[in-house]
Amino acid sequence: MKTGPALRATRLIRRFGELKAIDELYLEIPYGQVVSLVGPSGCGKSTLLRCLTHLDPPDEGFIEVGGESLGRALLPNGIVKHNSRRHTDRVRRKIGLVFQSLNLWPHLSVMDNICTAQCIALGRSRDAARAHALELLDRLRIGAIADAYPGQISGGQQQRVAIARAMAMNPEILLFDEPTSALDPELVGEVLRLLKELASSGMTMLVVTHELAFARDVADRLLFMDRGIILADGAPQDVITQTADRRVRDFFDKVTAFHPKFMAGTKPKEEHS
Amino acid sequence: MHRSVVKIMALDPTVILNYWPLLVDGAVLTLRLAAIAFVGGMLIGAICATLSLLNYWPVRMVILVYLALMRGIPFIVIVFLIHFGLPSFGIRTQALVTGTVALTLYAGAYYAEIIRAAVLALPRGQWESARVIGMPPIAAARHVIIPQIISPSVPPIVNCTMTMIKESSILSAITVAELTYQGLVIQGNTFAPFEVFISLALIYWAITIAFSLLAWAYERRFGTASGRTSRMSPIAARYLDIDGKSGR
Repeated sequence: MKTGPALRATRLIRRFGELKAIDELYLEIPYGQVVSLVGPSGCGKSTLLRCLTHLDPPDEGFIEVGGESLGRALLPNGIVKHNSRRHTDRVRRKIGLVFQSLNLWPHLSVMDNICTAQCIALGRSRDAARAHALELLDRLRIGAIADAYPGQISGGQQQRVAIARAMAMNPEILLFDEPTSALDPELVGEVLRLLKELASSGMTMLVVTHELAFARDVADRLLFMDRGIILADGAPQDVITQTADRRVRDFFDKVTAFHPKFMAGTKPKEEHS
Repeated sequence: MHRSVVKIMALDPTVILNYWPLLVDGAVLTLRLAAIAFVGGMLIGAICATLSLLNYWPVRMVILVYLALMRGIPFIVIVFLIHFGLPSFGIRTQALVTGTVALTLYAGAYYAEIIRAAVLALPRGQWESARVIGMPPIAAARHVIIPQIISPSVPPIVNCTMTMIKESSILSAITVAELTYQGLVIQGNTFAPFEVFISLALIYWAITIAFSLLAWAYERRFGTASGRTSRMSPIAARYLDIDGKSGR
């Protein structure tokens, strides 16, 4: 078992002009933890994922993945060191990001989607990459579609391929950007089951989601974010039922108003134990 | 009336029979010019498109000016500017060289815009997903971007290349001995313009048609977009059947 956090973000700031999309954010995710991140639209969830993967490098702050700094590093003597692009690319491989729109490569077969980056970025041989990919595909139960193209498979299968592609790099942590938002209700269930399986296999995950049922039932920890700040952080039950912060209360009250059934499943902590 | 029609239609075959070697020479030079301008233009186009996509503004401005000049000035004026302009900077070259350079720069400007547009038409996520998984930029371009922009840029590139082949006739104005120039020479010797220009029309038409047929064959072979051709293949059809079943 690895020690230390899988991911650590220290004082992240991302500005868009005057607006601070991420405002002095601290986040530490230990290995094996499943964290869900909720919050209203435009609160900075997606921006945070883009910062953590350096698709949209933060203006200030430091990111560490599996003990290695991504982009900028703070040396013990207080000097800020800017890592090379090559270094950034290498550390990036330790983070798997599953995009909301998946972004599979339509010109490559499922197998090539999963193998290309392994061969190029990790220097694996073609056979090793294929073997690894087949293992993952079997684990995600889509071994039969290895030679199909992304345009030929269903949405749920595409989602699995995207997850397999990210997992093929053996990342320290998997980030999901609203994995269920573009799916029909049936697929939502399928994808949530899949995430649950991954969670129980010990994968470290950060899931941006609007599915509060997932946040409540699967995640170990729930973060609530608004205006670039994490307002609540704790066990999902506690955050949903007991947060003192007014903004967080409002959000979950609204959810309760629309989904009475959802709250029925959320027992206060006293009863739970 | 009847007589005059007959007279107009009466073509003198001896014009072509006596001078066809000149037409062959001219056609060969036109093909060579077009080939050089195509290869050189694609290189310039790819480089300009890449540089302008890097979004480094000084470089981008230079490229913008180049594109605006090449696409905003009639080709014959560009040719004269280069042909008569270079000597005033102390550079003296043959008409063939200046002509080739002009044609290449001209084609390159159009190719650059086609390539840039094709890249911009791709969803940004394609590039991002390649980069975020740890592929270096060159690998991401080679394995993810380039394979996806080739097919959609074939039709506009064919269009541009056909225009470029036709525009090469303007190089006759600076005595580059390509097809049109040779035609004018024959006309000067024989005073038979109709025979000459009918021949030129047929040869140009044959060259451009041959080129577009090549492109058509390429498109049939590799498909307009990925998946569309594979979807027609029997192997792919087999996988289409499993849709929904293997979700398990």
